[in-house]
Amino acid sequence: MNEAQSIYGGNLPAMDWVLNRVLSDIEVIRNDLTLQFGNDPVEHIRTRIKSDESMHDKCRRRGLDETVDSALSVIRDAIGVRVVCQFLNDVFAIADFFSSRPGIEVVECKDYIRRAKPNGYRSYHMILRVRYEGGAPSDYDSYFVEVQLRTISQDTWASLEHTLKYKKDIADAELICAELKRCADELESTDISMQTLRDLIISL
Amino acid sequence: MKLLLAEDTFDLSRAVAALLRHDGYEVDQAYDGVEASAFLEKGSYDGIILDIMMPRKDGLAVLRDLREAGITTPVLMLTAKAEINDRVTGLEMGADDYLTKPFAMKEFLARIHSMTRRRAEYSNKDLRFGNISLNADSFELRAENSIRLSVKEFELMQSLMMSAGKPQSTQYLFERVWHDDTETNENVVWVYISYLRNKLRSVNANVVIDGERGGSFTLIEG
Repeated sequence: MNEAQSIYGGNLPAMDWVLNRVLSDIEVIRNDLTLQFGNDPVEHIRTRIKSDESMHDKCRRRGLDETVDSALSVIRDAIGVRVVCQFLNDVFAIADFFSSRPGIEVVECKDYIRRAKPNGYRSYHMILRVRYEGGAPSDYDSYFVEVQLRTISQDTWASLEHTLKYKKDIADAELICAELKRCADELESTDISMQTLRDLIISL
Repeated sequence: MKLLLAEDTFDLSRAVAALLRHDGYEVDQAYDGVEASAFLEKGSYDGIILDIMMPRKDGLAVLRDLREAGITTPVLMLTAKAEINDRVTGLEMGADDYLTKPFAMKEFLARIHSMTRRRAEYSNKDLRFGNISLNADSFELRAENSIRLSVKEFELMQSLMMSAGKPQSTQYLFERVWHDDTETNENVVWVYISYLRNKLRSVNANVVIDGERGGSFTLIEG
């Protein structure tokens, strides 16, 4: 994509730098927790920079001018990181870790694990403001990053729910939604049982 | 708890109904078999007291219709001493217990208690304590958030909630919840208490399970 056409203007190299900064921070806590508990807390990580098309759509939906400023200083999820963990406590350990990192400010946390959304969605969402210390030219000295932390079960549930959300005219939609909610609550129950067993094993 | 009393002797019906109401039961009174069947079609009961010898339709016919309709409500038959064959037929047709007339009120009441006790344990009402509720149909534990419990977790939680504030020993809980399980031992109680503690936390409950491994456990607000 030609820079002149991107809604992010010339900020893409800086955004890449910020994304990598967050990823290298996650490596730090990942190594700490691996040493502490003997296994890697992170199952996998997905990253994305919101596509130009999605960002234009989002600006329009929110009634914002389709500008660099809307995309990077009003909307806060241009840069996204999803960390999928093995155990519930790993999610909270990584979330806590971000509150004490130099150059990173935790702007907002939404704990949809302790307070699940009505449909059963569970995840821990954070908006970080990350200081840019790279060499490439940039319009801002810091960038927002949305970090979503969740367990494997929560991630599995979210991906099925996502599939269904975009499937039109589902027969018995109400029943399916109630069943999905039940699945979410059962998965959460299992996640907590697994965490409890892990704690019992470690305390032996 | 609601009972149907089908008894054609007016004085006996009145005395028995008064006793049951005094004991906290709700009572519908039928004075013959046709009336009894009509009550049973309209409403549901936690227990039925059925006199065998009744005008218009006898108790055995009422019982047969009831069981053929697939209704499993417990039935206590009232019979005369001479009606041995009726008692046998009644039990084989699905009555749960019988009492011969004349009977002592004390014994009658004890049998009603025993008949309705099992039903009460499995009734589908929500249990509540502090900000939590536990649904017996769905095994859902709910406060500010909701979660689904497994069967054993549910039974353990139910036991703790039904005696909230009172300590229950590990041995008691084990026998109550795992009585049918020969593969496990009392250590399982601690594992399940640990599950429930974390699950109570996950729904932001304002109640906790007090107690230590191997000891007694009490559900308390705190």
